Amino acid sequence: MIEPSTHLRDKYALVGAGHSRLGKVPGVSAQGLLEEAMHNALDDAGLTTQDVDGLICRGPDEIYTFHQVMGERLGIDASFSTTLTNGGASQVMGVALAAMAIDAGMASCVLVGYGRDNWSRVHANKENHMRGSGRPQQMYGMEFGPEFGYYGAIAAHGFGAQRHMHDYGTTREQFGAISVAFRNHALNNPDAVMKKPLTMEDYLAGRMIVEPFGLFDCSLQTDAAGAVVVTSTERAKDLRQKPVLIKGFGTGNNTSGWFNYNNMTHTGAIQSGKTAYAMAGLGPEDIDYAQIYDCFTYMVLVQLEDYGFCQKGEGGEFVASGALALDGAMPTNTSGGQLSEAHVEGMLQVVEGVRQLQGIYGPERQVPNAEIGLVSGHGGNTVCESTLILGAA
Amino acid sequence: MSDDYAKAIPIPGPESVPFWEGAKNHKLMIQKCSDCGHHWFPPSTVCTGCGSRNIEWVASSGKGKIFSFVVFHRLYHKGWDGEIPYAVAVIELEEGARMLSNVIGIPVEEVKCDMAVDVVFEDATDTLTLPKFKPV
Ligand SMILES: [Zn+2]
Repeated sequence: MIEPSTHLRDKYALVGAGHSRLGKVPGVSAQGLLEEAMHNALDDAGLTTQDVDGLICRGPDEIYTFHQVMGERLGIDASFSTTLTNGGASQVMGVALAAMAIDAGMASCVLVGYGRDNWSRVHANKENHMRGSGRPQQMYGMEFGPEFGYYGAIAAHGFGAQRHMHDYGTTREQFGAISVAFRNHALNNPDAVMKKPLTMEDYLAGRMIVEPFGLFDCSLQTDAAGAVVVTSTERAKDLRQKPVLIKGFGTGNNTSGWFNYNNMTHTGAIQSGKTAYAMAGLGPEDIDYAQIYDCFTYMVLVQLEDYGFCQKGEGGEFVASGALALDGAMPTNTSGGQLSEAHVEGMLQVVEGVRQLQGIYGPERQVPNAEIGLVSGHGGNTVCESTLILGAA
Repeated sequence: MSDDYAKAIPIPGPESVPFWEGAKNHKLMIQKCSDCGHHWFPPSTVCTGCGSRNIEWVASSGKGKIFSFVVFHRLYHKGWDGEIPYAVAVIELEEGARMLSNVIGIPVEEVKCDMAVDVVFEDATDTLTLPKFKPV
């Protein structure tokens, strides 16, 4: 039993957010894209690299001590810096770690970001293209997988989806409702990679990839980066943007394994959410919008359950009810998410979570009266989860 | 059973050698705790149930059920060319341990969660045998 420190609540804030070009960006490295996003985030805050003394980042996982690579490229000496390795849960965790580092007096202004050149890597050669991955196979292990033809995150998440369908009667049409809802959001986001409307008929006609997932259950292959700036709420008063308060955060990592217990249908989001809610002094009923890590449709559905927006097993009905729309019960992934905007491993979910509370959007994209938002990160071989609860100042 | 075996050859870690040696002898080896009786997989050097280091390798009955599964419709590795669609499953052995494998001997459309299965050993090459699972 843990008791999160409520003294952190509202003490730290996100003061700037930015992203790089999104989609197919050939000829630029992940590092280059991250520089672009970090500079945009600093511009948004009205700060420069000279103001930064903390650097928490992640890039292609095979690059050794990635934060040092970025520090050198940006010309930043950091009093606190590290690279995270929780997969898609790293980016949200990076924001939490920034708040903790500032609270511990290790840094005062922290840049958090993630960059990838995944589209370029996957399309660089035949072998990467066939495996659908820009990472070397060695990173996934050389036994208990490939010899059985088991490849890709899609299969791991597919196991969860299949078991959820078996236990709760969840259907592919319900997964489809998620794809369609996020595509509708993307159509109002000029930066989103996907520009064409998507209907349920289109979803169901999408070719099967790894059943139960078809083409439109899968997030995009993207070259892109995102970044945010974290500092104290006190300091934020003098900066350019209306600060976005960090009300709470949590993590929950089912490191005993995705195959273990009922982890594939009861994810790390249960613990992560509980911790974040406790720190924020809030519950699911207080959340106005959610930015949920959507590597595959199923992960949205199960996380919505695990964060308490509906009961366990009722995620299918919930997403099919129209809940994810801007005027729905829980507006979700309002930029289009990784399924339709761009896949930056949760970093753009943080960026969008911030922007909704900066109040910079027109009515086509702004969640009406948004005051509290939840952002989730998920990954690290499917078992790691991080959660942020953000509030308007 | 041939030199032209085109699928991935597993590279065992030091702790999993008994599993692969057992498979060659058509035995499904898993680990068991001598203190609490817990069975687990993949291999490690402590009991994942109680933390004891007093552990042993035992042969599983090979009986179990499909905890979950996926069906590959896309080719990710040239060794599977011509075998699409194929089923990959998480098998829950009756001793409690779960492991990844293929479900064979049944059309993929008929594979279901909780279906009872039994191990069969596929001699892939002269030095590699893969435990796979068939509906009972
Ligand atoms: Zn034990």
